[in-house]
Amino acid sequence: MGTPTSQQVLEALGHIKDPDLGRDVVSLGMIKELDVSPQGRVSFTFELTTPACPVRDRFKSQAEDAVNGLPGVTAVEVRMTANVRPAFMRPKPSEILPGVKQTIAVASGKGGVGKSTVAVNLAAALRKSGASVGLLDADILGPSVPVMTGSRVMPQQVNGLLQPIEAHGLKLMSFGHIYPSGQPTIYRGPMVGKAIEALMTQVDWGRLDYLVIDLPPGTGDASLTLGQAIPLTGVAIVCTPQDVATDIAIKALQMFRKLNVNALGLIENMSWYVCPSCGHRHEIFSHGGAEAAAKRLGVPFLGSIPLEEGIREDSDAGTPVVISRPESAGAKAFVEIASQVAARTSIQSFRQLPVINVH
Amino acid sequence: MEITWEDGTRSTFTGEQLRWACPCAECRGEAGVPGRLSRVKTLGDAELRIRDVTLVGQYALQVAFDSGHSTGIYTFPYLKRGLMA
Repeated sequence: MGTPTSQQVLEALGHIKDPDLGRDVVSLGMIKELDVSPQGRVSFTFELTTPACPVRDRFKSQAEDAVNGLPGVTAVEVRMTANVRPAFMRPKPSEILPGVKQTIAVASGKGGVGKSTVAVNLAAALRKSGASVGLLDADILGPSVPVMTGSRVMPQQVNGLLQPIEAHGLKLMSFGHIYPSGQPTIYRGPMVGKAIEALMTQVDWGRLDYLVIDLPPGTGDASLTLGQAIPLTGVAIVCTPQDVATDIAIKALQMFRKLNVNALGLIENMSWYVCPSCGHRHEIFSHGGAEAAAKRLGVPFLGSIPLEEGIREDSDAGTPVVISRPESAGAKAFVEIASQVAARTSIQSFRQLPVINVH
Repeated sequence: MEITWEDGTRSTFTGEQLRWACPCAECRGEAGVPGRLSRVKTLGDAELRIRDVTLVGQYALQVAFDSGHSTGIYTFPYLKRGLMA
């Protein structure tokens, strides 16, 4: 019995569809370094578009099964790797953040719903999956990132560029790093915009798979500056379940839609609370509001995060809960949400922005 | 200026068309005060020649003219509608 040709192996693998990109994994260029030995040993690299891929294990077993089903195959070796592709097919890298492949904004409209907690843990979860990740704190007036990451240190300047602070494997930059005293930053809107631009252009972000951007509440200067300065890969909207939060989250989402920024989806924070004494599940801020809003708006619902003392304690202590208590329900929720975000983000790598020619 | 949209369709505009359709506050007017374009009948050559076009985020284009005027942000929907308000 002969061994299969490379062509036959690719045909078999071509039946595997990427559920998010809606195409088969062969035409998406995910199968690389394919080798079929004369003894019928088949080996290849399966290159995912994100290390946080939610269907990684499924892809691996599907690929093994597909190839094992071919006559003449004696062994299959699938090497799973990931290479984050830049957002939007562009002829040249952008001038702002040239080394950053994907930019993910975290917004909410309303304050106090846990944007920064989500942003920090989203960044930490993406990092844990193996990606290189930065976190830009675009909340100039109320920066939370330095405390939540235990990184209250001043950045160094090299060749006129600020070096990001390194903590928990992340590259970080916040106005709270630049001005670490207890003094408030008192800025009018246009200054806030300039400050956010500076955090993008005056910081040596280097090469990153993902830059997570923690936005302040509101649909004004900060969000507008960001939406005008760079082609954002997408925005994840955080809200708590009650109407007063979802109503404003919807406004934030609509604002980004006007800026043609892809809505990665809605995240429900403080979704439930399990009482440590009685074990009863309380839904303090109601439950399911974000999922219902997502359905109404036709955007993905990315998941819910419980209200846990541990999340707050570890934030105050400076370690994201996905690192400090990976087995907690909260940490697991963040990891699941991060892989949903990564999957939605990958879709944007296959989009093309309009091309402009001036003659 | 020629734009190829995401879906492959194309739109073409001359500098003159774009200049007279400038959506900025100075040209359009704001808060009940009429803008410059409603006060002038003609514009010089330098006003109509495109110097540069840059992408604004991913929702609009900023067009700079030889005269130095560059405050207009032309959103994609506005351009797709053929510059009709």
